Amino acid sequence: MNEQDIIASGLLELYVTGSLSEEDRLKVETAIQEYPAIKEEVEKIESALMQLSESASAPVSDSVWREITAQTSGVRTLDHKPKRRNWNAITGWAAAILCFAGIFWMIKQNNDLKDRIRVTNTNNVVLKEKLENTETKLAENSEYLEVILSDDFTPVVLPGNEAVAPDALATVYFSEEETVAYVDVNGLPEPPEGKVYQVWSLTMNPLTPTSIGVLDSYDDNEYKLFKIEIIPGQEAFGITLEPAGGSEAPTLEQLYTLGTITP
Amino acid sequence: MKQPDDLIIKMQQGNEQAFETLYTMYSKALLGVIATLVRDETIAEEVLQDVFVKIWNNSHMYSVQKGRFYTWMLNIARNAAIDKTRSKAYKNAGKNLAADNFVHILEARSNETGKLDAIGLKKYIDALKPVCIQLIDLLYFKGYTQAETAEELDSPLGTVKTRARNCINELRKMVLNR
Repeated sequence: MNEQDIIASGLLELYVTGSLSEEDRLKVETAIQEYPAIKEEVEKIESALMQLSESASAPVSDSVWREITAQTSGVRTLDHKPKRRNWNAITGWAAAILCFAGIFWMIKQNNDLKDRIRVTNTNNVVLKEKLENTETKLAENSEYLEVILSDDFTPVVLPGNEAVAPDALATVYFSEEETVAYVDVNGLPEPPEGKVYQVWSLTMNPLTPTSIGVLDSYDDNEYKLFKIEIIPGQEAFGITLEPAGGSEAPTLEQLYTLGTITP
Repeated sequence: MKQPDDLIIKMQQGNEQAFETLYTMYSKALLGVIATLVRDETIAEEVLQDVFVKIWNNSHMYSVQKGRFYTWMLNIARNAAIDKTRSKAYKNAGKNLAADNFVHILEARSNETGKLDAIGLKKYIDALKPVCIQLIDLLYFKGYTQAETAEELDSPLGTVKTRARNCINELRKMVLNR
């Protein structure tokens, strides 16, 4: 194609609007380099299109250029206000480092607090157990105290057997209405190893002993006060020393205390 | 208009003064194209702003040896405007210019007071054949390629070229000899 053919073809118009294929675009570019008239034609096409879109444009607000310079000023020219840029960067990094340090510090604080909460929780469990034990004990003690002070329970003193243990003394708190009695063995000596005290209730006529309790938890019982179940209609209580586990019948040679119920 | 190659090279070297002169020369024409695509004056100015920031930041990608500077900027502007119209924020906002193509924008503009340019031009535009209006709209404002335009108008590729020549010739008679 010669100069005029190219101008008349419409390629130049499509070149300006950016609508050509890569191949055609290169063709036009070569022609522009070669023919000044083609370059001139391209300039005219461009001017016409620019005027058209300028007419379709509102006046450009001054704020647009202000915004552009705010974003571009000094961005590419290295000698432009380097101090201020560095300062911004330093401030930024410092803030970032402070921020990270702060985060780590807070994480550490948080972990410390969590540890302390764990320790406190453990302590709480221990204290709660202690409290429960104390409460149980208090309830037991209150029960004993209630029994001892109560009018319903009559203390039956079991004096020591002169032959075996003249200084021994035991007390049974019992009530006709209740099926339980409380035996206070504070006045008995500690049983020798392998032996236990056994409590018996007796009817006198005929003399019939019935085992109502083996005090095998002697060592664990702080107050040496035992709760035992009784059978009604009994007339006396006795305590003997028996081999561990207790015996079927009382070993009378080892009868420590004996007392009758006074009606 | 002769392309100010010396200014472009200065801008590429980081000269802000040259950049400002180029902005003054080209911003209005580009805003017209952007406004036609986004149909909202405020959004169009936002896009124009982004476009010139891109021009400044990517100026090394243009070479005065090949291609028109205006065509290079035009591509950036159309792409930015089309991207904008695809954004969620844009779709959610109401557009204040109800327009399908540049003619409607021109009409809207000529109704505002003191826009003698637009009023004068509109008279000529009214004389443009509808087929030319559509062709210029597709090629110049919407950035269609020759092949896409041919498909849109259901014409052969050669016809698009011939019509582009004829239609823009008509336009040139109107705007350049006014």
